[in-house]
Amino acid sequence: MRGATSAKWVVGAVIVAMAATACSSGDKDSGAGAKGGSFRLGITEPTAIDPFNSQESEGALVTHNLFTGLYSATVDGKLKPELAESVQTSDDGKTWTFKIKQGTKFTNGEPVDAEAFVRGWTRVVAKDSASDVAYPFAGIAGYKELNSGGATTFAGVTAPDASTLKVELSEADFEFDKKTVHQAFSPVPKVAGAASNKAYNDAPIGNGPFKMEGSWQHNKSITLVRNDDYGLQKAKLAKVEISILNSANGSTLEYQGFQSGQFDWARMPTPQLPVAKAKFSPKKQWIEADTSGVNYLVAFNQVAPLNNPDARKAISYAIDREAIAKGVFQGMQKPATSVLPPSFADTYVDGVCSSCVKQDKEKAKQFAEKGGLKPGTVLDFGYNTGAGHEEWVQAIAQQLKEVLGLDVKLNGKPFKEALAQQQDKGTGGLWRSAWGADYPTPDNFLYPLLDSGSINEDPATGKAAGDNRGRYNNPKFDELITKARGTKDPAARAAVYKEAEKLAIDDEQGLIPLWKRTQFRLAATDKFDNIQLDFFEDPNLAEISAK
Amino acid sequence: MIRRLGQMVVVLFGATVILFCCLFVLPGDPVGSLGGDKARDPAVVEALRERYGLNDPLPVQYGNFVKNLAQGDLGEDYTQRRPVTEVLQPKLVNTAELALAAIVLDIAIGLLAGLIAALFRYSFWDVLITLLTTMAVGFPSFVIGMVLQKVFVVQVKWFPLISDGTMKSLILPAFTLAILDAALVARLMRGTMLEVLRADYVKTAVAKGLPRRTVLVKHVMRNSIIPVVTYLGISFGSLLGGALITEAIFNWDGIGLALVQAVQQQNNPIIIGVVTFGVAVFVLLNLIVDLLYAVLDPRIRLA
Repeated sequence: MRGATSAKWVVGAVIVAMAATACSSGDKDSGAGAKGGSFRLGITEPTAIDPFNSQESEGALVTHNLFTGLYSATVDGKLKPELAESVQTSDDGKTWTFKIKQGTKFTNGEPVDAEAFVRGWTRVVAKDSASDVAYPFAGIAGYKELNSGGATTFAGVTAPDASTLKVELSEADFEFDKKTVHQAFSPVPKVAGAASNKAYNDAPIGNGPFKMEGSWQHNKSITLVRNDDYGLQKAKLAKVEISILNSANGSTLEYQGFQSGQFDWARMPTPQLPVAKAKFSPKKQWIEADTSGVNYLVAFNQVAPLNNPDARKAISYAIDREAIAKGVFQGMQKPATSVLPPSFADTYVDGVCSSCVKQDKEKAKQFAEKGGLKPGTVLDFGYNTGAGHEEWVQAIAQQLKEVLGLDVKLNGKPFKEALAQQQDKGTGGLWRSAWGADYPTPDNFLYPLLDSGSINEDPATGKAAGDNRGRYNNPKFDELITKARGTKDPAARAAVYKEAEKLAIDDEQGLIPLWKRTQFRLAATDKFDNIQLDFFEDPNLAEISAK
Repeated sequence: MIRRLGQMVVVLFGATVILFCCLFVLPGDPVGSLGGDKARDPAVVEALRERYGLNDPLPVQYGNFVKNLAQGDLGEDYTQRRPVTEVLQPKLVNTAELALAAIVLDIAIGLLAGLIAALFRYSFWDVLITLLTTMAVGFPSFVIGMVLQKVFVVQVKWFPLISDGTMKSLILPAFTLAILDAALVARLMRGTMLEVLRADYVKTAVAKGLPRRTVLVKHVMRNSIIPVVTYLGISFGSLLGGALITEAIFNWDGIGLALVQAVQQQNNPIIIGVVTFGVAVFVLLNLIVDLLYAVLDPRIRLA
């Protein structure tokens, strides 16, 4: 009987296994076509959707739709009041008094008053939150104390009454209102509790045009439904179904999902862009926009061979941006001639970086000679691997070899390793980088990328922890930034920012602009109206309507 | 048995020590960056280093890890700050589901094909099966996966792109994962069966006048299947870990994918969690395979 038993065992195991896998079978209704329409898209897993630590575009997409703050930004970088009814700024630029629209509620019924803002802001900055998005609050009085654990309240943020939010800054900043566009400045209800409240982290209760349906299914999905009690302009879509895709091939999956009709919005892998454009542009399903960001080369300013403006200008003049944009990017990127993006209409100056306008081999050679970049000079050129940078980085390296005869050493590294190298005081050469705006002010580019305050050097180790990786340092530039922040008149302020950009980029080539940040998306315009890219490069969900 | 369990503990211990040392050698600060172009506030970095005990010397970190592991606690991941067990648990279920479906396909396709090929040696079917298995072995599974996806998901739209929890979304990834192993199982099965068919005890059984089916099931099948079981045991383990590419192609939220992402982000708690689990599964499977031998062949006794 033994044989029979073991045969039975094997057959039995197979049946059990089949049954186990079959358990999950059965087609579920997709729920598409509900009243008001359901918009479907894919993102990669966000770090957080709770405003306390929501940071990358994916997190911002969800948080911005769950919460409404004082202001939002239009796609062309203009400030649009949301809950801010009026604002008063003191003449010294240090005291901001916001009047908050009354009568709006969180989706659990709690009122959205000034106190809700105080609560939300304090929650982000508190030490225990260890939030990555506390930095835009840094100019508010009491930030250091709260962030280092010395205080539990935010001294500079108070609510004298339910409709008044008063903010005291430690330094004059006439652009503080623009910073509040960041989702970290959202109000939160009492139930939010501390930042470590896991239940709230995964199912935040907000006051935005949409609310959560169920909680965040990690790596799987997030579902938003319209907030019918929304206090401002209500959303038209009934539902937004967000599938979470793996980051390894997320854009491929989005693209395929769009083609197979499972997504209404999609990014695409860069190499597929020209084909996709040819296919979807005639159907008017192709969206193209210059967004608020810049791709650039960090030039390590304090270490040879790029420790003088002439050497840096030589590099910039030697690069043929137009050829790479056409060749490597197949026309999908446009050369940048400034650090500030064109979407910042008040401060954008086309061609402020004169070495960026056009490749000029003669000038490149002249500056190289002045700057001591002799043929054969070894130049380290770092980039992070696996992110699609290989091709254009090689193209630039080739141009630098051809025009200046430099011995360019390409140095590809995984991101975290590369970061350690960038922070090291002795690092020289070039590094590829990119920057996107967090809020619509030139300060959001000029201060982090070029101000000496953003080098953030540890005196003991010399390690630089800030975003000014090239360690560009000019007291005059720093002064201009401080002056701009303290200038009340918008036009005069814009002029100071322009002056600062000219100094750092044109006179001293503190960094080397490469391309504008241009984004491409596919959108189901056959099913939905008014689909656009918003300021944060996400779809404008609250304004989309089904056909 | 007790000795085998003791071995398991030693293997697990060794694996985690090696892993810890490797991760410590890796350059870069695990909490130093968001993985984007923007720097992390030094105050945040310090707060996180403190929170995760990263300022402690390696032996202390390892001691804490073992202490927590004994309580079933694998720590907290560095990006979303959720408990590793909570992060990995659904992924384990998903990968196990995929691996199980694959192994069922493996057995079904592989055994059947091998059986047919051996019984009808040199026939049209044998030639066809040999041809197909050769091709399957030669094709990298990601090519098969991508072609299947392109054809059946994007073109004819029979299957959903994103897993919707139904049997339907399991089929393509399971098939992609199974195909290589099924081919190997078929070849293995064919080879051993041909050998067994020539064996004296089979000839004796036939000579005794036993019915053909009894000979095939009791004598031939049972003896041919032992090497196949060994192979399947090993391959199930590698399926769990090696589902990586398949998981990426089909957006299957399993541990293979989690591991790739964790390595990119230097999210050490997840890496350690996945590897510790993987080693445990491997050791356990070896044990099960050894036990199965004893069931299939009473002559084999466990020491």
